[in-house]
Amino acid sequence: MGRAAAPPPQPALAAIRFVVMGLVAATLLAAVAGGLVRAGIAWPLRWDEAHAGLAAAAHAALMMSGLLGTVIGIERAVALKQRWAHLVPACTLAGSVLLLRGQALPAAALHALASLLFVGVNLVLVRKQNAAHTQLLLVAAIAWAMGNLQWAAGASGDVLHAWWFSFLVVTIAAERLEMTRLMRREPAAQTSLLVIVAALLLGALLHAWMPRPAGVLFGGALLALAAWLGLYDIARRTALTHGLSRYMAVCLLSGYGWLAVAGAAWAAMALGGPTRDLALHALGLGFIVGMVMGHAPAILPAVARVKLHYGPWFYLPLALLQVSLLLRLGAGAVDAAWRSTGAALNALTLALFAATLAGSAIAWRRRHGGTRLTHRTRP
Amino acid sequence: MPTPAPAPFPYAGPPELQQPIVDALMRVVDPEVALTIVDVGLIYGVTLADGRAHVRMTMTSAACPVADVILDDVETELDRVLPEPYTIDVELCWEPPWTPERMSERARRFMQG
Repeated sequence: MGRAAAPPPQPALAAIRFVVMGLVAATLLAAVAGGLVRAGIAWPLRWDEAHAGLAAAAHAALMMSGLLGTVIGIERAVALKQRWAHLVPACTLAGSVLLLRGQALPAAALHALASLLFVGVNLVLVRKQNAAHTQLLLVAAIAWAMGNLQWAAGASGDVLHAWWFSFLVVTIAAERLEMTRLMRREPAAQTSLLVIVAALLLGALLHAWMPRPAGVLFGGALLALAAWLGLYDIARRTALTHGLSRYMAVCLLSGYGWLAVAGAAWAAMALGGPTRDLALHALGLGFIVGMVMGHAPAILPAVARVKLHYGPWFYLPLALLQVSLLLRLGAGAVDAAWRSTGAALNALTLALFAATLAGSAIAWRRRHGGTRLTHRTRP
Repeated sequence: MPTPAPAPFPYAGPPELQQPIVDALMRVVDPEVALTIVDVGLIYGVTLADGRAHVRMTMTSAACPVADVILDDVETELDRVLPEPYTIDVELCWEPPWTPERMSERARRFMQG
């Protein structure tokens, strides 16, 4: 069957995409290296002490605002289809490079600019579709900006962590709320989610002045969100299907379990318990990275224009994530050596997941011969 | 020739192409919800006229980055079943907004378990 010519290749666009993917990978590597240094593991590659120290100090900022802020910024820019929205990931990537060069203030200022632009991106989206989930995405963007503005003003520690986590957690909550529209939902479901998000944000806001009640409120809100997702999310249904849909659901459900653990641990940490690593990494790795692993096979083709061939091997990095977290956060609570081993396995999980994505992209090209998609469209 | 069963979305075009088009669109699945785009109610209508196949469809969220991938999948599947003279034009629209009432009976049963 004859077909019209495929659209002409755009080398400039491909080059930009290549550079962005390289910078995202470099940010991830630096963030992971910083995490390993914090866990008492020497980075295996050549790495001078000054850079190791910078990466360790910047670990949370690089992971949450640098890496995930960039990925979410790209994702939203692709959805909005407006060029200026790509300034968000451009600023976060530039800010992350500056951060690793030791220029903390300009780095924080660039991240603050990125998040303020992101508020603008989400305002445009709300005007396009004024719905509860787009409004919540806007709230998440404001939380990110709150964290970054305080970072630029010199704040540090759990005050920033609470805002950055709020950005990520509310973003996920908004996306799951949108999905629950497909289920027969109790009328109170949406209202209860809004109450939980309000409690979470109040907890984040109060961290600067009264960390004890703020931490209990923040942790309680995370715990309540885990219960809400367990009750209302479509993953309970889609887990009964097969293939990619089931894999995504398993990632989500395991993530909700870690979210509950993180909530309890955050509250315990605020009350003086030795649960800081558990709170931060059950949330950051168990919940948020679990969500990323579940959605990557669907999102990557959209944001990186790379098609993936899904297969059951996707469960391998997911299983390693669970095992490494149990070692780090469970056994590691009684023996510091297990904490380091678990952290190293966390890093290996991310490497295995990256290899899984690369292998799946190659498998797709082999099956489809690298054919482009669009043919007889838009004459 | 027997009259084809009504399409699950407004269809205007040659009757013999109706079922192949419905089948093609039923092959496009949103993996997140494990349902076809027809069952979710994303297809607003298909019109075949003057050598052009025009599809009007929506997404459940304007913040969804996978819209272009789904549009590509729609074009690919239609390309397989439409005879040569037709060009394919898939239009993404936001009015009227998608609501859960647009879901098929099959989708409702699946989601309500």
